[in-house]
Amino acid sequence: MPKIRFYPDNREVEVEKGENLLRAAMLAGVHVNASCGGSGTCGKCRVVVEEGDVEKQPTAKLSDDAIAKGYTLACTTKVLGDAEVRIPVESQMGDGRAALEREHRSVTHGSVLTSKDLSELFGEFELEPATRRLYVEMTAPNLEDNLSDLERLKRELTRVHGIVDFAVDLDCLKEMAVKLREADWKVTATLVEGRDGECPRLIRLDSGDHSATHYGLAVDIGTTSVYAEIIDLNTRESLGRVSDYNSQVSCGEDIISRIVYSLKKDGLTRLQGLVTDTINGLIKRLLEKTGVSKDDIVNMVAAGNTTMVHLFYGINPRYIREEPYIPTVNFAPTVEASNLGIDIAKGARVYCIPGRASYVGGDITSGLLASGVYKTDKVTLYIDVGTNGEMALGNSEWLLSCACSAGPAFEGGSVKYGMRAVKGAIETVRINPVTYEPMILTIGQTKAKGVCGSGLIDALAELFLTGIINEKGKFNIETGHPRIRENNGQGEYVLVWAEDSAVKEDIVITEADIDNLIRTKGAIYAGITTLLDSMGMPVEAIEQVLIAGGFGRYLELDQAITIGLLPEFPEEIVKYVGNGSLMGAHLVLLSQTARESAKDIAKKMTYLELSTNPSFMDNYVSALFLPHTNRDAFPGVMERVKERSGV
Amino acid sequence: MAFQAPTESYNGKIREIKLGSAAQVAVGGENTLPFYTFEGSVPNGPKIAMEVFDTEPLGWADELKSVLGDVWGDPVAWAKKCESEFGADIICLQLAGTDPNGANRSVGDAVATVKAVLDAVSIPVIVYGSGNVDKDSEVLKAVAEATQGKNVVLGPAVEDNYKSIAAAAMGFGAKVAGETPIDVNMAKQLNILMSNLGIAVDNLLIDPSTGALGYGLEYCFSVNERIKLAALTQNDNMLQSPTISNLGKEVWKAKEAKISQEEAPQWGDQRKRGIIWETLTAVSVMLAGADLLIMRHPESVKLIKQTIAEFGI
Repeated sequence: MPKIRFYPDNREVEVEKGENLLRAAMLAGVHVNASCGGSGTCGKCRVVVEEGDVEKQPTAKLSDDAIAKGYTLACTTKVLGDAEVRIPVESQMGDGRAALEREHRSVTHGSVLTSKDLSELFGEFELEPATRRLYVEMTAPNLEDNLSDLERLKRELTRVHGIVDFAVDLDCLKEMAVKLREADWKVTATLVEGRDGECPRLIRLDSGDHSATHYGLAVDIGTTSVYAEIIDLNTRESLGRVSDYNSQVSCGEDIISRIVYSLKKDGLTRLQGLVTDTINGLIKRLLEKTGVSKDDIVNMVAAGNTTMVHLFYGINPRYIREEPYIPTVNFAPTVEASNLGIDIAKGARVYCIPGRASYVGGDITSGLLASGVYKTDKVTLYIDVGTNGEMALGNSEWLLSCACSAGPAFEGGSVKYGMRAVKGAIETVRINPVTYEPMILTIGQTKAKGVCGSGLIDALAELFLTGIINEKGKFNIETGHPRIRENNGQGEYVLVWAEDSAVKEDIVITEADIDNLIRTKGAIYAGITTLLDSMGMPVEAIEQVLIAGGFGRYLELDQAITIGLLPEFPEEIVKYVGNGSLMGAHLVLLSQTARESAKDIAKKMTYLELSTNPSFMDNYVSALFLPHTNRDAFPGVMERVKERSGV
Repeated sequence: MAFQAPTESYNGKIREIKLGSAAQVAVGGENTLPFYTFEGSVPNGPKIAMEVFDTEPLGWADELKSVLGDVWGDPVAWAKKCESEFGADIICLQLAGTDPNGANRSVGDAVATVKAVLDAVSIPVIVYGSGNVDKDSEVLKAVAEATQGKNVVLGPAVEDNYKSIAAAAMGFGAKVAGETPIDVNMAKQLNILMSNLGIAVDNLLIDPSTGALGYGLEYCFSVNERIKLAALTQNDNMLQSPTISNLGKEVWKAKEAKISQEEAPQWGDQRKRGIIWETLTAVSVMLAGADLLIMRHPESVKLIKQTIAEFGI
């Protein structure tokens, strides 16, 4: 990888070819002012490339004279090879401030975790989807060859594809006579594998050869966000992925308020309709994006927490909320998509990955499957940093799981300018400890619209390390800096001024946002502690940590540790898996063996109920502090804090 | 061979803090659990602060009126009586009258009362505000300035006003009692926040809040006990401050202490009942580890001092 050296700090960092200089500077722990998110419009991130191989973009923000002197905007300059870059004083300091001697953090932000793909985590597997699309050409019936339509189809499927016997959907049978004749006896039969030794089932017939267009839909139904992905079931490839907020959010942010809503008159029907609408909206976007026809999407696998699955199926979730917290079903049956209102091929099936308990659902089973936790020897901690905060500890021999009700903050919920990790979301934040000026990058490097999970983790860590907020998350307003201000009796920090933002208002992080973030991180940390305590294991016993969640493309381990979201794990054992739940659904679409494994995982997992666990509440309150009330557990962070106060 | 009782030794020690200026009183200093004199040293034992209010109390039990009624309109006389007659180790001056939702006494009036009490007694004085976050921060700042050199304890400092109170204490040499709602972690967090401001930990006391007997006392007991265990066994520096138990006001709010014998004949003699309620609450928090008890009735104080003496301290 190319090496970039920054002067005057004399710091070096290795980055991928094609990475921009602004991110490289961030990774090196070097401050460059940047307030437009990397869109090339604020013109503040001027740097001089003294030597090396970079690709500069033309910009109106620099005079010809400056360009001649080697100036370029860091955010739009791509790294092609090794380079040496000088950061001029004006790019280090805030406007109109004296050039102060800056103190740098000596701890480099090292470990940026990028999300992993399926094969990297799960390894090799055989392609064996639950559905098959088989093309057959039959001879038309006559007085001698007078088999019935169905038997004729069967004869041909047996002869060409070895299908000895199959059952058939009544709806498919009703249309069969006309379909076969209109297609001139050349059809594609779509069959779904039978369960438990049953024969396969014919679910639809299409005119002509569709065997090459065989698609499945993987869906992660989160409490806050829903992700959908179209998978080519012949090539294993993902053709596209989209996401949206779960429209049910309008009926309550967490699962408890959703359940309460479902008990109102028509509440359950409405919730079912809302999530179906969300999924159908995503399907529509996917179809436009990929050019796939909806009639070729013949299977759907969904992963979601237990409540989400109940609501998706329209099953009354009432008793999930009441002691002793019993769901109607953990292993939901396969149903027809049309029964749930899902707008894919007629006859297509929907399967939900099984869960373990009311608060440990199919999403965690799915993640444990995709990340290979259930087949490793290493003691692994798997954390899904979603609204429900589910996690599991174990390996191929044992698995202990719990859910800590973290809240939606890291998905952008309950945060004023929070948003999902999509274009325009601030994903990386640095704050200069002397000038309090921020350095931000957005996804897609466009003007900022809001802040996604990774940006929020960054912002919290930076606000804390620069002393702008105290350990309780309260602002030290006394600094007198224009970015640190009081609004309606509440402290806030201005990340992006209105003129630089896409929303034409100041993008801020408020004290209430910080409160929510601290509660969320506290719940997750307390969940980890409680899982370890109940196994009688120290943090050091964990050999592998897998983090799933919709933070964004990156998760910076140092920052996550600084805010006390995670214990001080050594970076080499931590992996960010991205959306593990969606990956598991993807895998189950492709592999019947994987589907069986998911069942085994759900059956095998032990569930720890935290609501009745006396030590959880205690662990939680002690985690409501930055980084943690027990500071001895965070020696590295305390070292950084000490350096800060030395500034 | 003679039986030898097993004993534990502890890594940590509760900080010994000297209060007051003329006749100083030390609190804390133990390196073992409460009264475990067979394991370690308990140099001071629990100390008793008696309450004095800045304004005449309203709605107090008749029993209190009969013993304190002659002085309770005059904080100076009340304080003197606590020192000379009732054997208080410390005075806890409660500035309840400064509450903006009550008498709303001015900062100047409050300071005058504090100075008058300080001049009248030689034992240490704790000055507690009304519990109104903003007013306390104003009042206690002024009190700190006016009592420089007297080594008073200011309280309660809470999450929303600790900055101004701790800063004033630092500037004028006072101690601070930080109050948190019955939680080990929160008590520790407030001490961390205060010491981050630069105030020495030797100037901090912990008031972890308490309830009276029958009103969540067992929970408060555990919290007090856990603070001591963390301080002693885990050597947790931020929990090694002596602890205050502000129990008098809780006990005398309870209906068991207040209700007359006519109204509840099955509960027996009202006088004894109130005193026993306060004494039992005090014994409990003392056994949980409290180093300083804030109490109200002279008879309960007498019983507690006797109990402490019987423990051999």
